[in-house]
Amino acid sequence: MHSELQAQLAFHLTGVWSAGRPEASDALELRPALLAAYRNLSRLRYDFPLVLARNAPHGGAVQSLSGLMDRAIEDAAPRDGEGERIRGHVLRMEQAIRALVAAGGGGSLATLWDTAAGRLESSGEDLLADSLSRARAALKADGEVLDCGKAMPARLFEHAWRTVQESKARRFREDIDRLILRLSDILAAGLALSEEGRSPERLRAEVGAAHREAFDFEAMSRLLAGSLPKGTLPESRRRRIASLVSVLESQRFFPAPGERAGGVEPYAFVFESCAAALRAFRERRPAMIALAQAVAVARLEVENEYVESKHDAFFEEFGENVLGPKGVTLFPDYLVRIGAADMQAAGHAGLMEALGAGLPLKVLAQTDDILDESPVRDGQLAFGARSRQLAAMAIALSEVYVLQSSASNLFQLRERILRGLEYPGPALFSVFSGAGGACGELAPYLVAAAAMESRAFPAFSYDPSAGEDWASRFSLENNPRADLDWPVHAIAYEDDEHQRISEELAFTLVDFVGCDRRYAKHFATIPRAMWNERMIAVPEYLVRETKGPPEKVPCLPLVGRDGTLHRAIVGEKLIREARRCREAWRSLQELAGIHNSHAERLLARERKAWEEQRTAHAAAALGPQPAAEAPAPAAAPGVPAQAEPEEERPRDEPYIETPRCTSCNECTQINDKMFVYDSNKQATIANPEAGTYRQLVEAAESCQVSIIHPGRPRNPAEPGLDELIKRAEPFL
Amino acid sequence: MTITAPECLLRLYEEHPDLEDYQGGAPRWCAGCGDNAILAAVQRLCRDEALRPEKTAFISGIGCSSRFPHYMKTYGFHGIHGRALPVAEGVRMARPDLHVFVSTGDGDCCSIGAGHWIHAVRYNMNMTVFLHDNHVYGLTKKQASPTSPRGLRTNTTPRGAYLEALNPLTVTLGVQNASFVAQAVDWIPEILYSIVSAAFHHKGFSFVRILQRCPKFLPDLFDPWLHDPQKVLVLTHDNGLQLSPGLAKVHKNRREHDPADLDRAREIASGADPIPVGILYRNPGVPCYEDLRRSGKLRTGAFVRAGLEAELDKFTIWPQGHA
Repeated sequence: MHSELQAQLAFHLTGVWSAGRPEASDALELRPALLAAYRNLSRLRYDFPLVLARNAPHGGAVQSLSGLMDRAIEDAAPRDGEGERIRGHVLRMEQAIRALVAAGGGGSLATLWDTAAGRLESSGEDLLADSLSRARAALKADGEVLDCGKAMPARLFEHAWRTVQESKARRFREDIDRLILRLSDILAAGLALSEEGRSPERLRAEVGAAHREAFDFEAMSRLLAGSLPKGTLPESRRRRIASLVSVLESQRFFPAPGERAGGVEPYAFVFESCAAALRAFRERRPAMIALAQAVAVARLEVENEYVESKHDAFFEEFGENVLGPKGVTLFPDYLVRIGAADMQAAGHAGLMEALGAGLPLKVLAQTDDILDESPVRDGQLAFGARSRQLAAMAIALSEVYVLQSSASNLFQLRERILRGLEYPGPALFSVFSGAGGACGELAPYLVAAAAMESRAFPAFSYDPSAGEDWASRFSLENNPRADLDWPVHAIAYEDDEHQRISEELAFTLVDFVGCDRRYAKHFATIPRAMWNERMIAVPEYLVRETKGPPEKVPCLPLVGRDGTLHRAIVGEKLIREARRCREAWRSLQELAGIHNSHAERLLARERKAWEEQRTAHAAAALGPQPAAEAPAPAAAPGVPAQAEPEEERPRDEPYIETPRCTSCNECTQINDKMFVYDSNKQATIANPEAGTYRQLVEAAESCQVSIIHPGRPRNPAEPGLDELIKRAEPFL
Repeated sequence: MTITAPECLLRLYEEHPDLEDYQGGAPRWCAGCGDNAILAAVQRLCRDEALRPEKTAFISGIGCSSRFPHYMKTYGFHGIHGRALPVAEGVRMARPDLHVFVSTGDGDCCSIGAGHWIHAVRYNMNMTVFLHDNHVYGLTKKQASPTSPRGLRTNTTPRGAYLEALNPLTVTLGVQNASFVAQAVDWIPEILYSIVSAAFHHKGFSFVRILQRCPKFLPDLFDPWLHDPQKVLVLTHDNGLQLSPGLAKVHKNRREHDPADLDRAREIASGADPIPVGILYRNPGVPCYEDLRRSGKLRTGAFVRAGLEAELDKFTIWPQGHA
C-alpha cells in the first residue's frame, strides 16, 4: 500500500499522523462546503429576525421580518417603475435592520426602522424618504425584533404563550363578567322588592334630586310596603349569590386588562423551574376549586336552576372533583423555561411526574450545545442527550404534546407551537438554540439549522389531540427530506481547469461536527497533491459495510475563507457517531411511518401471497376446465320479496289511524270519554263503550282526514242502527 | 367555557317535560281548524327538544292563528296586526338566549305585514316562522286575503276574487338572504312535525308556510288534496325530508329535491297543484343579522346609562353652548 494512503488510513483509524501532521481545519477557517454560501447572513433573506407582533390576530403573533416587508411592498408599491424603486428601497431597509440586529441591536421594529432610516437617509438619495414612509405606513405589525440566538427561544415561547393565554383569559373574563352582572341583577331586583328596598331613605335615593322635594317618601314607602309581592329573594339565596359575586370578583387567575382584579395582585404563571411551578400550582389549587365551583353554581343561579334541596349536597360532596382534568384546562397554563443541560436528576424526575399527572405545564427545555461529550462514556457525543430523553419520555406518557426543533425552524413551526400551547394538557418543547459558542463565527442560526439538517437534532411533533394513532399524532414533516437518511443538496464549484462542476452532496452528522472547533482534531486536511481515488465522500463511506481493514478513507469537502475547496479525512470515531446518529434517525422514521419495518414486512408478505395466487391462477388456466358451477337459485321473476304482512284489523272493532290525526278536536268534542288524545296529542279510541255507535259514526263522518273507522255496532238495541250501519259503510 | 364534570352530573337531574307542560289552556279555535294541528306539532317539538318554557317566546300578530301564544305555556307576545316579525326581531336582538317562534296568518303576514316580512327574510334573524295560510280572513268572518284563490267568493269579493293568489313561497325565495323555506299541510301531521323540527334546527330565518283548513268559512277548499294523496308532491332528500315506511306507502307522488338547489326550489314553489310539501330551500351559510350586529359588550348599568345620556344629550339645550 502507498505510504500516503497508509498515513491517511492510520489517521482515520487512530487520529494520529505517522509522518507529520497536516494543517488542522480550524487553522484555515474551514467550514463544510455545503455552508460555503452562508458566510454573511445579514446579506441573505431568510426567516430571521422575527417580529413578535403585538395585538396581532391569532396566528399572526410571530412573523418574519422578510414576510412583513414583502407584504408592505405588496401594499405600498404599485406594479410600475415607481413600485420598483420603492421595492428596492424597502429591501435595503430590511437589510439594514437585519444588520443592526445581527450587530446586537434590539428593540421594537419601529425603533429599529427609525435607526436604520436615519442611516440610509443620510446618504441623501432621492425619494428614499418617500419610499420608506410609504412602506412604513403599510407595515402590518410592530413588536420586538429577535434574531436567532440564545435568548430567542425563551422570548418567542413567552410571547406565543402570552398570546394564547390572553385569548383564553378574554373568554374566561367575558364569562365571569356576564355571570357577575346577572348575579348582581338578581341581587338588585331582590333588594328593590325587599322591605329595605322600599324604605323611605332608599326611595329618596332613587329619585333624582330635581324633584325630590315633591314626594313624601314616608307615604310612598308605606304604600309600596303594602303591595310587596310574595316570594321575594330568600335570605339563603341572597347570601349564596353575594358570596358567589365576591369569589368571582376577587379571583386572581384572570385579571381584567389594564387593572388589578379587585385590587389583588394577579398570579404569575411564568417560572424558571419546574419545582417552583408545581409549588405555585399546589398553593393555588384551593382557589381554583373555589372559583370553578363558584362558576358552576353561578351558572345555575343565573338560569334560576339552583335548587337547594338538590344542589347543596351535590356541591358539598363535589369539592375536588368540581375541577376535574378538563376544568384545570380552563385556567392559565404554567410556562416553565428550563435549560435542559442544567437539569439535575431530581428535577428531571419531578418534571416527568408533573407531565404524567396532566398538570397544565408548558415546558420549554432549551439546549445550547448538543455536541458535548457524553458524561458517562468517554469519547461519545451526547447529541443533547438530556433534551432528547425528555422528549422521548414525554412522548411515552402519551398524553403530553411534544415538539422538538432547532431554533432555526421555530418560525416554520409556529402553528405547531401555538397548537401545543393551546393543547388542553401538558406540553414539552425541546429546542436547540445553536448558541453554544463552539462553532467560531458561525451564526447560531446556521449551527441550529446544521443540527437539524444533519439529523443530530431532528424536528418532530407529537400531538395527542390529532387522533388516536401514531400516524395522526407523530410527524417528522418539518425535516428536510425526511424520507432519506441524510438530506441532499447541490453544490457547484470550479475545478483546476476552471470548469464548473455540479454534484449533489448529502449533509451528514460529520458536516455538522465539522463546524465545531472542539472536534477539529478529528479532521485532517489533505493537500491537493495528495488527493486520490481512495478518498471517498462521507455519505458513501457510511453505507459501506467493510469487514476487513478499510480500503477507502472518508473525507469531507471543506471551503476556506477564500472559497477554495479542501478535503479533510475524517476520524473513525466521527464515522461511528454518524452511524449512531443515523440509527436514531431511522427509529424516528419508523415511528413516523417512513420505511416502517412492520409495514414493509406486511407488504412483502402480501406481495408474496399475491404472487402465489397469481401463479396458481395461471396454472389453473392452463389445466383442464373445471365443471361449471351450478348457478345459484335465482328469485323467480315477477314475484316480489315477501312483504311484511300488513296489520289486519278486525272490521268489527272501531279504531283510529292515530299517526294521521291532525288534532283538530272534532271527535273529542263529540265524546271526550270515547275519543282522547295520546301523549302526542293525537286521537285514539280510549273506550268504545263510553259512547254510542251513533257518536262513532258521526265522528267518522266529521273527521276531515277520514281516519276514524267505527266498526260494527256493539249494542244491537241502539235505535236507528240500520241507518247508522249504512252511513258507516264507507269508513269500515 | 365549560366545566364538564359537574355539567354532566347536573344533566342527570334534568327533568323531562311532557306535552302538558307546554299546553296553555284550551284553544278557542273551531273544531276542525288546522291551527290545532300546528299547535299539536309545535307542542310536540317543545317537548321533544325539552325547550325551557321561560327560554321560549311565541310572537304573533292579529288573526285566528295569532291566538297561538295564548295556548303555549311559554313567554308570548300577542302583537299588533302585521307586526309580529318586527316584535320578534326586537326580542331576538335583546334576548339572544331565547328560542323565538312567530305565528302569523296570510292576512297578517302577506297583506298589512308584507313590508316587514320581506325585510325579515333579508335580515335572516334566527327564528322559526309559521305562516298559517288558510286563504281567508277568518277572525273577521271571511274576507279575501292575498292568498285567496281567484274566483273565491268572500264578503269583500262577492263576485269572486279578481286576482291570482300571491304565492308566499316564491316571494320568500325571491328575497336576498332567504335561508330556509318549507311548505307543509296541516292534514299530514308526520310531515308537518318533521318540517317544524327541521325549521327549528335551522339557524336563521326559517319560513314555513302551512296550508290549513278553515272548516267554518272554506270547509271544502282543500278537499281534493285532502282526499287524494297523489295531489300532494312530497319533496324528499337525504338532506331534507324523509318519510316513514307507512307514510311512503300512502304518498307515492314523491320527488327527490336537494334543498341546496335554489333555482329548482323556485320552480317547485311556483306549482300549486299538486301541492309541493317538504323543504324547498335551506342554506345554513347565510349570516344572521343579530350575529353581525352583536357588540359583545356587556349591558352593565353604567353602559346603559352612558348610552341613554348620550341619546338624551342630543336633545338637550345647552345654555352656554355644548363643550
